[in-house]
Amino acid sequence: MKTLIVILLLTVSAIAQQKTPPPPGAARPLNLPKITEKKLSNGLMVVLAPLANVPKVSAILTFKSATTASDRTAHPGIAQIAASVANEGTDTRTSKQIKEELRSIGGTLSLGSDADSTTMSASSLSESSVRLFELMSDVAQHPSFPETEVKLAQENTIQQIRAGRADPAFLANERFQKAVFGNHPYGFVVPDEKSISALTRADLRAFVSKYYIPNAAHLIVVGDIEVDKTFAEIEKAFGSWKSGTVPPDENPPVPAREKRQIYFVNRPGSIQSAIYIGNASIARKDKDYFAIRTADTIFGGSFYSRLTRNIREAKGYTYSPFSSSNTRAKTGSFMAGAFVRNEVTGPTLLEMFYELDRMRVLPVTDEELSAAKEYSTGNFSVELASQFGLAGRINTIYTFDLDKSFINDFRPKIEALTAADIQKAAAKYFDTYRAAIVIVGDWEKVKDQVTPFGEVTMFDADGNVVAN
Amino acid sequence: MRRLLVTCLSLLMLIANVSYAQAKSLNIPVVYYKLPNGLKVVISEEHMAPVVTVAVYYNVGFRLEPKGRTGFAHLFEHMMFQGSANVKKFEHAKFIEANGGSLNGHTDFDYTNYYQTMPSNRVELGLWLESDRMRSLDVSEENLKNQQAVVSEEVRVNVLNQPYQFFEWISLWENAFTNWNNSHNGYGELAEINAATIADVRSFFKTYYAPNNAVLTVVGDVDANEVKKMVEKHFASIPAQTMPARIDLTEPAQTKEKRVSQTDKLAKLPALAAGYHLPPQDSPDFPAMALLVQILQGDDSSRWYQRLVKEKELTLDLSGGLNYFGNEFDYTGPMIMTTRTTYKLGHTADEVLREMDAVVAEITAKGITEKELADAKVRYRSNFYSQLESSFGKAHLLAALALFRDNPQQINSLLTPFENVTAAQVKAAAAKYLVATNRTVIDRVPETKPQAKSEQ
Repeated sequence: MKTLIVILLLTVSAIAQQKTPPPPGAARPLNLPKITEKKLSNGLMVVLAPLANVPKVSAILTFKSATTASDRTAHPGIAQIAASVANEGTDTRTSKQIKEELRSIGGTLSLGSDADSTTMSASSLSESSVRLFELMSDVAQHPSFPETEVKLAQENTIQQIRAGRADPAFLANERFQKAVFGNHPYGFVVPDEKSISALTRADLRAFVSKYYIPNAAHLIVVGDIEVDKTFAEIEKAFGSWKSGTVPPDENPPVPAREKRQIYFVNRPGSIQSAIYIGNASIARKDKDYFAIRTADTIFGGSFYSRLTRNIREAKGYTYSPFSSSNTRAKTGSFMAGAFVRNEVTGPTLLEMFYELDRMRVLPVTDEELSAAKEYSTGNFSVELASQFGLAGRINTIYTFDLDKSFINDFRPKIEALTAADIQKAAAKYFDTYRAAIVIVGDWEKVKDQVTPFGEVTMFDADGNVVAN
Repeated sequence: MRRLLVTCLSLLMLIANVSYAQAKSLNIPVVYYKLPNGLKVVISEEHMAPVVTVAVYYNVGFRLEPKGRTGFAHLFEHMMFQGSANVKKFEHAKFIEANGGSLNGHTDFDYTNYYQTMPSNRVELGLWLESDRMRSLDVSEENLKNQQAVVSEEVRVNVLNQPYQFFEWISLWENAFTNWNNSHNGYGELAEINAATIADVRSFFKTYYAPNNAVLTVVGDVDANEVKKMVEKHFASIPAQTMPARIDLTEPAQTKEKRVSQTDKLAKLPALAAGYHLPPQDSPDFPAMALLVQILQGDDSSRWYQRLVKEKELTLDLSGGLNYFGNEFDYTGPMIMTTRTTYKLGHTADEVLREMDAVVAEITAKGITEKELADAKVRYRSNFYSQLESSFGKAHLLAALALFRDNPQQINSLLTPFENVTAAQVKAAAAKYLVATNRTVIDRVPETKPQAKSEQ
């Protein structure tokens, strides 16, 4: 009898379309990563986390002292150029040999530099991890900056930056960073042509020997590894790297913005306005980190966010509106953006300010808060399931000196947030009074829509102030 | 490259690579069957992380959109988020995100996909949402107008307001192909996107969004038997549809080189795009061609990159590959290998082509070395593994193999034909396919302004 009823129910449900969402099943184990750290005698912090999802290994080597601020007075932009040329030759390998060796181990190796560090990201098949570590170590210790490679990089970087000035997103980001951080190193986006051309091979070699040092570095390795064996491989590859003197932090304090201001980059012929609105926010270690992160999710950082529902799904002004909270060692920025057709530039500004102010003035609903918490914790699990996702997350712990328990604490800290926490953080950091409003577009077409929102300073695509 | 929202391209980028014995150890579990209504179902258990991807792939891409309606397949993809019988407009996104997941859709040459990755205990929610829209998409004039505006902004931001305007895809395909289904602008002309009607949407849905024209793939931390029951419950009663006759996608053989010159109002530097017609995927030449693509332009060690960017210092970059949006397995119609490079002022497209041809001539004369071949296979295998790393990456490959080959189990032996390629086959492929008569070249240069130049 019981069986019959069950069968009948199944049959019925197979015909009728279910009208309500099915409830979740029992929660599955989180499988949090097992992370092991060990410092080599030269001061290099090594952090390992096995993740054998594919037979590969992924590594991040971070030089904490090699930042945009490093050596910037004498050589603006040197950290960026050093990072881009470091893998183009060592004392014992040519550029081509490095690339060919990488191909033979199914590997990648590239460097990048930003406001808080220089990082080398590398990967290979796990069967070739010894060769990958040797290559990484060689590039970290012995980059030779061959004359021809330096010259080519200088010429190509200048050309690439010129080409980039045709792209509205590049122009908007550059102007936004400068508006928020001024002349502080955090406002740096790309070096000017004169600074690039002035760099010499000797400058680059001196920079690297001063700033690429093991006692101001950490190496994160995630992948199909055995911890003891991998430690031994790393010790062999990096053990003879000589320590240096850790340079003092060269970042000055961040200037404060006083008032709302429009920074208009004129791009005649533009058929859209690129709009970025935002301001300085908090340092990565600030206690408000989780509150801002969650406010951002609700406001514009997720697909079902308020901003998307409003200016995309209700009004059709734009394709992919967004917001982001970008936290750094000293401070960060919060920013909301959209690319919209010329005709709706003013209406978009109105809605963006409305949504920003709504976050500041009214509490988010329980439904929004609970959804944002699920979104953050669920997607955190997905992030930790990829080798570079996990390596990147561990890297932020060591770069910003966060609690070692950050990954395990993530879920409880998100879950503890209240609507009042979100509102407080938004009121403070979604600061519409002092917002920087960056617009890249055709001034003649949109000026009447823009001027009601504040005083305008006008720039050309090369970043020069021009009359409006 | 058209999707519901902006995401990182790299997930789908696999300029694939394969190799030796290690590849044979792949042992991905695959459960594959069909429901009576024709829906193909692929389930693959993977228990390393508590996540699951639920993906539905429909066997229709922009090649099959109606004439006079360029961009329609993609506009339709947007409409799939505008509500169904039990899910209101945009609520699909709300349900998935409020349950800890992320989602997207993407329209490609030969398929349109919809996918969500989320905590694995929410798998049935994903299945319910996908089944609801497959069964009962609900569209209104108002929602269509809204998404026409959204898609128009998407085309403006990604094409019309950008330097180069995606010429290595849109213009290259318009010129390289002669059959309208292959050659037309798949992102769409604004006027045609905005001319679409509700009747068009309903008809496209009925024609192509049927269970017997789709694959449902579930990959992750789930029990395959439990998932089977859920699939039965939510999908089994969706009726099959009569499929239309397949549209002819064949291309006449190209017999002479096509050269096109364009000017660009926004670009600051000239750029060149080249496309060579490829052999079909079941051709014995195909695996050799895939490795040749790797050897010519697969990474910074490749022959074209080394020649153009490093040795001759002619160009700034080099990109492209065997399938501009995807990989060797996720398309079914005629395909071109794409190459795009930005070259320096003061040089010409002929100089760039001369160097590209010289590299090819070296291969057709002397072949490649055994070491070069072996290394290319390692690179191929490594890239292949990277695609399998995420549940979505694995779901994507399984779905494509089910959709186009009715054989998702092939994922475990996919590398074999590429591992078996010989240096002689690569040499022969270069001689056969990388000839001027098989290619289309677009030279796109900055528009000359009548005023004095700003640069000294």
